[in-house]
Amino acid sequence: MTTYDDRASLTDLTTTAERVRRSVEGVIEGKPEVVRLSLTVLLAEGHLLIEDVPGVGKTMLAKALARSIDCSVRRIQFTPDLLPSDITGVSIFDQQRRDFEFKPGAIFAQIVIGDEINRASPKTQSALLESMEERQVTIDGQTYELPSPFMVVATQNPVEMEGTYPLPEAQRDRFMARVSIGYPAPEAELQMLDVHGGVSPLDDLQPVAHAHDIVKLIDAVRAVHVAETVRRYAVDLVAATRSHPDLRLGASPRATLHLLRAAKASAALSGREFALPDDVQALAVAVLAHRLLPTAQAQLNRRTAESVVLEILQHTPVPAAAQPGGGFFAPQPPGARRL
Amino acid sequence: MASCALLPLVDPASWFLQAVILLAVQSGVGALAGWMPLARALTVAVQALVSLLLLTLVFAREQALAGLLPGPDVFRRFAVLLEAGAEDVGRYAIPAPLSDGIRLMLVGGVLVIGLAVDALAVTFRAAAPAGLPLLALYSVARASPGTARAGCGSCSPRPATCCCVAEGRDRLSQWGRVFGGPARAPGRVSGGLDSGSGVIAPVRTGRRIGALALGIALVVPLALPALDGGLLGGSGGPGGGGSGGGGTISAVNPLVALQDSLNQPEDREVVSYRTNARRTDELYLRIVSLDQFDGTTWKTTVRRIEDVPSPLPTPQGLLPDVRRTEIQTNLSAADGYAQNWLPMPFPASQVEIGGRWRYEPVGRALVGDRGQTTRGASYQVKSLVVEPTAKQLANAPSPPADLRKEFTKVPDSLPRLVADTARRVTKGSANPYEQAIKLQDYFASDGGFTYNTQVRAGSGPAAIEKFLKQKEGFCVHFSFAMASMARTLGIPARVAVGFTPGSARADGTMSVGLRDAHAWPELYFEGVGWTRFEPTPSRGTVPEYTRSDVPSGDASDPDTPEPSRSAEPSAAPSASDSCPPDLRRQGGCASAAPEVAAGSGGDGPPLGMIVLVALAALLVVAVPLLPVLWRTRLRSARLGPGGRMPTDAVARTMAAWLEVIDTAWDHGIEPDESQTPRTAAARIVRIGRLPSGPAEAVHRVATAVEQVLYAPSPRLPATGLAEDVRRIREGLHATSTRSARLRATLAPRSAARVVWAVSDRWTVFSDRWSERAAKRWAALTRRLPRRASQEG
Repeated sequence: MTTYDDRASLTDLTTTAERVRRSVEGVIEGKPEVVRLSLTVLLAEGHLLIEDVPGVGKTMLAKALARSIDCSVRRIQFTPDLLPSDITGVSIFDQQRRDFEFKPGAIFAQIVIGDEINRASPKTQSALLESMEERQVTIDGQTYELPSPFMVVATQNPVEMEGTYPLPEAQRDRFMARVSIGYPAPEAELQMLDVHGGVSPLDDLQPVAHAHDIVKLIDAVRAVHVAETVRRYAVDLVAATRSHPDLRLGASPRATLHLLRAAKASAALSGREFALPDDVQALAVAVLAHRLLPTAQAQLNRRTAESVVLEILQHTPVPAAAQPGGGFFAPQPPGARRL
Repeated sequence: MASCALLPLVDPASWFLQAVILLAVQSGVGALAGWMPLARALTVAVQALVSLLLLTLVFAREQALAGLLPGPDVFRRFAVLLEAGAEDVGRYAIPAPLSDGIRLMLVGGVLVIGLAVDALAVTFRAAAPAGLPLLALYSVARASPGTARAGCGSCSPRPATCCCVAEGRDRLSQWGRVFGGPARAPGRVSGGLDSGSGVIAPVRTGRRIGALALGIALVVPLALPALDGGLLGGSGGPGGGGSGGGGTISAVNPLVALQDSLNQPEDREVVSYRTNARRTDELYLRIVSLDQFDGTTWKTTVRRIEDVPSPLPTPQGLLPDVRRTEIQTNLSAADGYAQNWLPMPFPASQVEIGGRWRYEPVGRALVGDRGQTTRGASYQVKSLVVEPTAKQLANAPSPPADLRKEFTKVPDSLPRLVADTARRVTKGSANPYEQAIKLQDYFASDGGFTYNTQVRAGSGPAAIEKFLKQKEGFCVHFSFAMASMARTLGIPARVAVGFTPGSARADGTMSVGLRDAHAWPELYFEGVGWTRFEPTPSRGTVPEYTRSDVPSGDASDPDTPEPSRSAEPSAAPSASDSCPPDLRRQGGCASAAPEVAAGSGGDGPPLGMIVLVALAALLVVAVPLLPVLWRTRLRSARLGPGGRMPTDAVARTMAAWLEVIDTAWDHGIEPDESQTPRTAAARIVRIGRLPSGPAEAVHRVATAVEQVLYAPSPRLPATGLAEDVRRIREGLHATSTRSARLRATLAPRSAARVVWAVSDRWTVFSDRWSERAAKRWAALTRRLPRRASQEG
């Protein structure tokens, strides 16, 4: 196990992350929170689902992130006729050697951009399952490790639903976070016209960090401390989704894990060696909302999963450490009643 | 339980058992109908029918068809009984005898209330409205004079409160977000977010709200200066109405009100007057005369009334040779005094008053017509001061036969002891006057009677006998007894109700208060008319014409000496504190003195009352200050030096943070349990519009809290947190309005934590006890079948 001087690691981490952030923001302007979330997911070893209408820069974000890091990048355009073997790879019989030779698919890259992932058939979508969770591919009984770092950045269009196959729950659950880029502000859009008018900004993008830097950063994130109270808070939040009357499917235990890992990455990005409930709160919507299924009645009432998560955040007390003693007039920890 | 409050109203309380049994049957029918199950309306109808059958069985079996089925005769019987009951209620003082009418009213009333409560709480599942009928039942008892001291009454509203608590839980579970308890166990969130725990949390919060409401209901009356009731009101409630400044003193039944008037903790003025009379100590204000004695009580005879003549006719039986002086008195009744009989000196010869007043000639009283009352009335009365000599009274001829017949009537049920005592006391008297004097002296001085307003008024034929044996009572007992005994001796007698002359004020007017309420006997002597006597020791003034040296015992001298005029009238105008100069009455005065000191009658407020008032005043001052004192103490505890250990540093930081939260709360920034220290700090800065200094202090404290709560090895500022908290407080003070500052200081919102702490402890306590009770019950139920099987 690699040991680190936490302070040095955190300093390295924030410096490197800052370089990547600036690089990506040179392409995606006016969306710092989206860029930060992308970085957070990368450092938390998760996968990112970008869901938005066409033309707002989903693919651009994925590509910018991939190019800012000096690592292998593959892009898969998901179509209905895409086969699972196109993603994972295939074993071909080599006439000369008279043996099967494995031809790796598009998944064998450090950053995989899955464009319009909901256009592929469920069978093809499910080909991603093992690789996303276990970071390996098994073909013909042979298991092939995927490179590290490994991150799937998938995009999908929520509006144009004809001829699409919505991601199954199991697939959605494997994405650490979902992000919507949204339309840029008028000023940002104006600036985009000036900068991007003639040439694609991606062309000028140079890697600002190496893949092994990112691996070190990921290790630093793993070392971030999460207090018992923060863990309990994350569990409380996820548990609340399972009993909320407006939801017919709550978040899974994997969601709790993802939430805490993301919170650790967020804390590391802020230069902190410990996570705060604030980190959990900031990431709760992005990490939890895409895993939740509102009831039919809630959908009729125009309730979205995001609004339910926000409501849960407003109603779930932030737990505090238990204080010793505590008589009638003794000071109580904040949050024991109301903070 | 609520019907317990009615127990003191009637004696004996045998009706209660009957009511309980019938109520149990009624509830059982309701439970059976619910189990079947019948429609809700049908359930109520079946219960009502069964109740009617039960009432028929108990009260009108002879009129019922086949002894059970109610027919028209049964309803007629009910009407007769209810009418009689209503009459008895108006007639009797508390406790009333248990006549059939009153019994029907009580048992029927309990059944009707029970049906209403059962229908609301069980059949229609609305617990809160079910408290209203219980409250109504309780109010009946509470509003009845004389029940204020009943211990059972004070606990009776609790079923209604319990209903509210139970209903509160149901309501609370529908509120969605429960703002009470935090999540106590991992994986469980509070309130409506968690359907699993959502049942428990609202119940607890409902209990808390209920406990809080109950606590407030108990504490607030203690804090308020309620001198006439509430839990501290040990000395009885007001007479016929409230004793507040704007209350009404109604006295439909003067006797019922009289004892309560005498027991008023606060003497309120009802009438003030100015008179040109030479002496005021004998200027009794008479309201009405009670001239009909039915063996149970004295009451007014229903007589023809007429327009008020001017002047009024000469008093009946008053001959011209009796010395008299006409005086004029200007009276004004208090705004809060609503009496439909007019208080005035007796005998009045002319009355000038506006309004609808009518004249009752026999009793020489003015009665209000169509709701006319004395409220705020000012009127002039010319009256006679009749000063007969003892000789005139002694030589009075026999009264007219019809008058004698009417006013010497005593019922057959009157105990023999009354007549026997009258004969024994007046043995050797030569004439009715001597008999009257001896009777008066017997009660006032010779008989060993003591004056006590706390004695229950009593009713029924045995009441006078009981009084003669116990020798303790107040003016009603004395006047009733003397008038009854006079009647047994053939002397026409009646009881007058009114006020003693009251006390003089500096401006020469006289003030008559509630405690001056009085009753005295009037005896008729031909030639003089109705003559006042005063048998009550330590109350009122003995009339001059009764201050004779009539020998007591078996003196055989028939000559009645001239009444002694040597005794100068007392300079003190107040009747209540005047001691009759008659030497024979000294003993009576002496025996009455402790009673006065004990607060029964007159010389200023008693010591107990002073202590009570002082305590109440202290409470009134201290209670509003409690939040301030608690807050100050808590602040100094939180910001104190504390220990030097690392754990102490953690506790100090948390205490400082809680102090910041509470300080902000006191200034109107409500705490929010869903906020992290960082967001809470930002919110305090934003809402409190804190300038940079205090704002940085807030963030410093929040950062310290983050270190304490979430960092693996907290790096805490060694000192300065307490200073930061003070800076934040000053900042919030500076940006608040004056009223907000005042409220933050005098009525800090964060004092609610005390209530929460009490509520929490109560929840723990009640949970523990209910758990123990459940265990015991389970052990008991396990044991019983085993024993039964062993026996079998």
